[in-house]
Amino acid sequence: MLITLEDTIRLIEEGKILHIAADDSLLEKLPKGKWIGGTTPYFMSEEGGIFTKDRLFVNEIDYAEDIRISTYGKYNIFQIVEECYDNGLTMLIMPYGSEVAAKYSKEAPEVEELLMHPTIGWIAGADLEAMGSIKVYDGTTCNSYTDKAVVMYIKIPGGKSAMINMVNIFTDDKTDPIIRFNDNDLSVTDCVVNGQKVNFAEYIEKKGIDTKMPLVADYNGSYINTSIKSVENGTVGFYAPVFRNIDYRFATKVDDYSGQFKERIAAMEAKDPVFSCNCILNYMYGNLNGQKIPPFTGPVTFGEVAYQLINQTLVYCEIIG
Amino acid sequence: MEALAQEKIEKLLRGEVKYTSSNLALNMLISKMQKRLQSDPQSMEACIKEMDEFMSKYPIVAKVDLANIVAL
Repeated sequence: MLITLEDTIRLIEEGKILHIAADDSLLEKLPKGKWIGGTTPYFMSEEGGIFTKDRLFVNEIDYAEDIRISTYGKYNIFQIVEECYDNGLTMLIMPYGSEVAAKYSKEAPEVEELLMHPTIGWIAGADLEAMGSIKVYDGTTCNSYTDKAVVMYIKIPGGKSAMINMVNIFTDDKTDPIIRFNDNDLSVTDCVVNGQKVNFAEYIEKKGIDTKMPLVADYNGSYINTSIKSVENGTVGFYAPVFRNIDYRFATKVDDYSGQFKERIAAMEAKDPVFSCNCILNYMYGNLNGQKIPPFTGPVTFGEVAYQLINQTLVYCEIIG
Repeated sequence: MEALAQEKIEKLLRGEVKYTSSNLALNMLISKMQKRLQSDPQSMEACIKEMDEFMSKYPIVAKVDLANIVAL
């Protein structure tokens, strides 16, 4: 729910467990309490997509049996698989462009046990027109960080489980060339297309590929996107890493971006998500400002975490059982 | 894990049968195990163990998947 600063402070003072997303000018005014937060001024609200620095998006975590809040840097971020509750949900927020986010994005898919622990989260950002402070907050201390991940471990009551899923409008055409990369990286020069080494930037240019379309990889029927950030000076940058030994293709062209998004949501079985976040690229390319996508509301984010970092995707969590 | 379920999961991980779950984590795990097996064909036992741990840890989520896999 998108609410005022005064209402958010009241919830914190009542002792509620909260996840909060807002512009830094609001987060810095919050009192200590059981909350974590991250910066973004873009939201999907009940009234539709909105840009605002006057209100905060707040999720009340009323399904928790218990919680713990911790912060991690790039050297210890993967302690999250050891420190989480056995039956729980790990919710993390990392600042855009931080080393901890880069480390997480490159290594999470290879971390043992990660898939055993439901892990959801997002990358904090700022106003795209006037890039302000990008921070995450540990509400127990009110300390903010530009270089750390803040994590809330949520203990789920016995007999229930957290289940993470996503809405992705993209798919691939299996007759398109397979693209592979030699390393786990956030930028590349070369790739291998159908077995032949080529300069990836030149390949994109030559093929006239619309870089609003992400690379997609088929993980047993779940499509994971990697979005193109830049193509310049023979180098291609990504918002999430590409991985070695994964087969990629460019997503097939989507003509009606927002229509496709709504169609996918209508086909989902999600009834009562307790948390969701949606990518800034979906918000921008899909013109979601002013558009509603029920039942999903939440921060619009600069990368989404569904176990690993993904792009151009809406991720959500349900408590089932 | 029951023998029939193990047999079907082995086929799934070898790519001899296909099953897509509505559970993102399970799809990611199957994909990861398939790649592990491709690079190390001797790792089937470890892959089955990891699949079993996942299914056992989240019985509420996994029971439908397990039934569907057994029926493949």
